[in-house]
Amino acid sequence: MANTTAQRKRRFSLRRYIPLYIMMLPGLAYLIINNYLPLFGLSIAFKDINYAKGIWNSDWVGFKNFEYLFKTTDAYIITRNTLLYNAVFIVLGLAIAIVIAILLNEIRSRVARSFYQSVILLPFLISMILVSYLVYALLSVDSGFMNKTILPMLGLDPVTWYLEPKYWPYILTIVHIWKGAGYSCIVFLAAIISIDKEYYEAAELDGASKWMQIRKITLPMITPIISMLALLAIGRIFYSDFGLFYQVPMNSGALYETTNVIDTYVFRGLMQLGDVGMSSAAGFYQSLVGFVLVLVSNYIVRKFDKDNALF
Amino acid sequence: MKKTMRAMSLLLLCGMLLLAACGKSNNGNSSGNEGSGAENAANNGGTQAEAKIEEITVAFPVITASTQELQLVEDEINKITEEKIQTHVKFLPINAGEWAQRMNLIFSGGEKLDLTYVAGQMYSNMVAKGQLIALDEQLAANGEGIKSALEEKYLNATKIGGQIYSVPTVRDLAASYGLTMRKDLVEKYNIDITAIKTLDDVENVLKTIKEKEPNVVPLIPGGPGQSFRENYLWYDPLGDTMGVLPNYDNGLKVVNLYETPEYKAFLDQIRNWYKSGYILTDAATNKTTTYELIKSGKAFAYLAMQKPGFAAQETKMSGTEMVTAELLAPMATTSNVTSASWGIPVHAEHPEHAMKFLNLMYSDPAIVNLFDWGIEGKHYVKAESEGDNVIAYPEGKDAATVGYNMLSWVFGNNFLAYVMESDDPQIWEKTAEFNKSAKPSKALGFVFDASAVKTEFAAVSNVVTQYKLPLETGSVDPEKLLPEFIEKLKSAGIDKIIAEKQKQLDEWAKANSVN
Repeated sequence: MANTTAQRKRRFSLRRYIPLYIMMLPGLAYLIINNYLPLFGLSIAFKDINYAKGIWNSDWVGFKNFEYLFKTTDAYIITRNTLLYNAVFIVLGLAIAIVIAILLNEIRSRVARSFYQSVILLPFLISMILVSYLVYALLSVDSGFMNKTILPMLGLDPVTWYLEPKYWPYILTIVHIWKGAGYSCIVFLAAIISIDKEYYEAAELDGASKWMQIRKITLPMITPIISMLALLAIGRIFYSDFGLFYQVPMNSGALYETTNVIDTYVFRGLMQLGDVGMSSAAGFYQSLVGFVLVLVSNYIVRKFDKDNALF
Repeated sequence: MKKTMRAMSLLLLCGMLLLAACGKSNNGNSSGNEGSGAENAANNGGTQAEAKIEEITVAFPVITASTQELQLVEDEINKITEEKIQTHVKFLPINAGEWAQRMNLIFSGGEKLDLTYVAGQMYSNMVAKGQLIALDEQLAANGEGIKSALEEKYLNATKIGGQIYSVPTVRDLAASYGLTMRKDLVEKYNIDITAIKTLDDVENVLKTIKEKEPNVVPLIPGGPGQSFRENYLWYDPLGDTMGVLPNYDNGLKVVNLYETPEYKAFLDQIRNWYKSGYILTDAATNKTTTYELIKSGKAFAYLAMQKPGFAAQETKMSGTEMVTAELLAPMATTSNVTSASWGIPVHAEHPEHAMKFLNLMYSDPAIVNLFDWGIEGKHYVKAESEGDNVIAYPEGKDAATVGYNMLSWVFGNNFLAYVMESDDPQIWEKTAEFNKSAKPSKALGFVFDASAVKTEFAAVSNVVTQYKLPLETGSVDPEKLLPEFIEKLKSAGIDKIIAEKQKQLDEWAKANSVN
C-alpha cells in the first residue's frame, strides 16, 4: 500500500516537472547544436583538408598538423610566455580586483561609489585597437608622452620602447590589469555586498578592527567566488588575449621574445598558408591542455575544501 | 549564507557558459553555412535552360556592393551577350574582404559557378586542389580575343604542369621599383631626378634633404608594415621570398636571400641611413599611411613598386605633387602576372559559354566599360573634348556619389576601358609599352606549391615576420641580429623549403624546356 502511494507520488511529481523540462528544451537544443555538434569538427585537426574532397573524405594525416607547434626554438618561448603571462594575470588580476572591490565597498556615498566603479570599468569597454593607440601615445619614440615629458623630467634618455623587449612584460601586465580589473571587481563587489551586515556589527561590538573584519569575514565569505573565477581562468591558461599580445606591441618583430604567445604564433605562421587543419590543431591543443588543467586544479581545490570546488 | 553564495556562483557559472556559448557560435556558423551552400547548389542545379540561351554564373570581387546599380549593369550586359553568344550572365558579386572564405565555401558546397575571378595568392593552391579546369582547349576554340589581347609570354606565365588554368587580366603585368619624391622639394634644391639610378644616388638626395630641411623626414616606408627591401626587389621572390633567384636569373639556382652578400650590403646601407637620421625613427612599427605622412608635410620620399601613371596616382592619393625616379627596370615575375586572373571552376555547367563570355571581356569594349564604369549617361558621360576614350562623372557627381564603383583591374582587358578625365589619356598605350619592354624573369611561369613543406613554411613565416621589419628598416644593428636571424631560419627549416622549391623549379624548367 505504502509502496503504491510512493509510486503515484513519483509519477505525480514527474508530471509536475514536465513544463520545466519543456522549458529546458530550447536551451538544450541550443547547447547541442552550438557546443556539441561542432565537436566533430575536431577531426579537422587530424586531416589534410581538401575542399574538392570535403571534410569527411579528406586524408587523415595523424599528428602532422601539430608538428609546427613544437618544431622550432620558438615553441619553448611561446609556451613559456603564454603560461607565465597568464599565471601573473590570474594572480595579480584577482588580487587587485579584490582590493578594489573591498575599497569600493567601504565608500559610503552611493553616488561616489557608482562613479568610481564606472571609471574603473571603463577601460574594459574600450577595444584593444584603441588601447594599442593609447599605449602608442605614451610610448611613441618621437612624440610619446614618456619620451617627451616624463623621461626628460627624470633626466633619463629616451627609450625606443617598441624595439626593447625587456620592458614589455611590465607594460603588458599593466595594460591587462588596467583593462580587466574593473570587470572582475564587479563580481567581487556583488559578492561582498551580499554578505550579511550582522557579521560586521557583531565583529565591531567585539572590537575587531577594519583590517580584522576584512581578513576574518570578507575574504572567507568570498572564497568560493575567488576559487571559481580562478579555476575558470586556469581553464583558459593556454589561450591568450590576441588583441593584447598582437595589437598593443604594434606587432613589432623586435619584441617577439617577450610578446609572442601561442595565438599570435599561430596567426603569423598561418597567415600566408591559410591551412584550416593546422589552425584547428592549435585550437585543439589549447583546449586539451586547458581541460586537463581545470581537472587537476579542481582536484587540488577539492582536497582542501570541498565546498569551493567547481564540481 | 553558504547556500546563497553557492547559488550565486552557480548562476555566475551559467552566465559564463552562456557567454562561452555565444563565442563558440561563430565557429558553429561556418559549418552551418556549408550545409546551406550545399542546399543552394541542389536548388540551383535544376536551373531552367531556355531553348538556346544558357545561363552562366560569374563571380568577382566588389568593394561597395550597390546591388541595384549592379543589376542595371547586369541587364545591359545581358542584352549584348544574349545576342552575341547566346548566354545569359548572372552576377555573383562577393565582397573583396570575404573573397577567400566565400570561395572555399562555394567549392566545398558545389554552389553553381561557371566563371570566376582568381585571386593571385590562391591560384596555385586552387590548381593543386583540382578546383580549376585546364583552359587550353577552350582557349583554342573560343578564346581568339583573349589570345590577341595578351602577349604570349604573359598568357604562358599562368601555366601549371604545362597547362593554362587561368587568364590574367590585361593591366600592368610587370613591376619596376623606384623612389617617389615630393616635387616642391625636388625643385627647391634642384635635384636632378634623371640622375637617380642607384641606392647611392638616393643616399645623396636624402643627405641634401636632411641637411637643408631638418624638420622633414627624408625617407619613409612605402606603407605601414612594409620594409624597404619589399619595395626594392633585385631578385625574383618566387612567390614567398623563401628561396629566391637573385637578378631574376641566377641560372635557376634557388638561394636563401637572407644569406646573400647583397642582402647584407643592403641592410648595412639602410642601417647607415637610419643612424644618419634619414629614416623615420619608428619605421618598424609605423601605422600611419604613406599618404598621410606626405600630406602632413613631414616626409619627403619613399621607395615603391611602380608602373606607368604612378606619379599621377600618388599625387592624387596624397594631395601633394609627386615625381618618380626609376631604380630597377621593369621585370615580370609569376606573381605580377597571376595576381589577378580568371578561371573556370571544375564543376562549371557551361564551360564553353563561360569561355565565350570571358573572350568578350577581353575583346568587347562595351562589356569592359559596363563593368568598369557602369552605364553611359547615368554613371559617366563622354568628355569628347579631351579625347575619344576620355570620360567624366555626370554633372554634380563624383567617385563618392555616383553609386557605381568597381575594381577596374578585375575585368578582363583594361586597355579597352575609358579613362577618367583626371588621368593620363595615354595611360593604356604607356602600360602596353611597359609590359612589352619588361624583361621576363627566368622563372616567369613557375608557381611554387608549398603543401609538401607546410610545417616548415609556418615556422619560417614566423621567423621572417619577427626579423623583417626591424632589420629592413635599419632600426636594429645587422651585425648582431642578421646572424641570429639566419640561424633561426635554419632551425625553422628554410633549407628544406629551398630544396623543395629547387626540385619543383627543376621539374618545371625541364617540362617547359627553360635552361
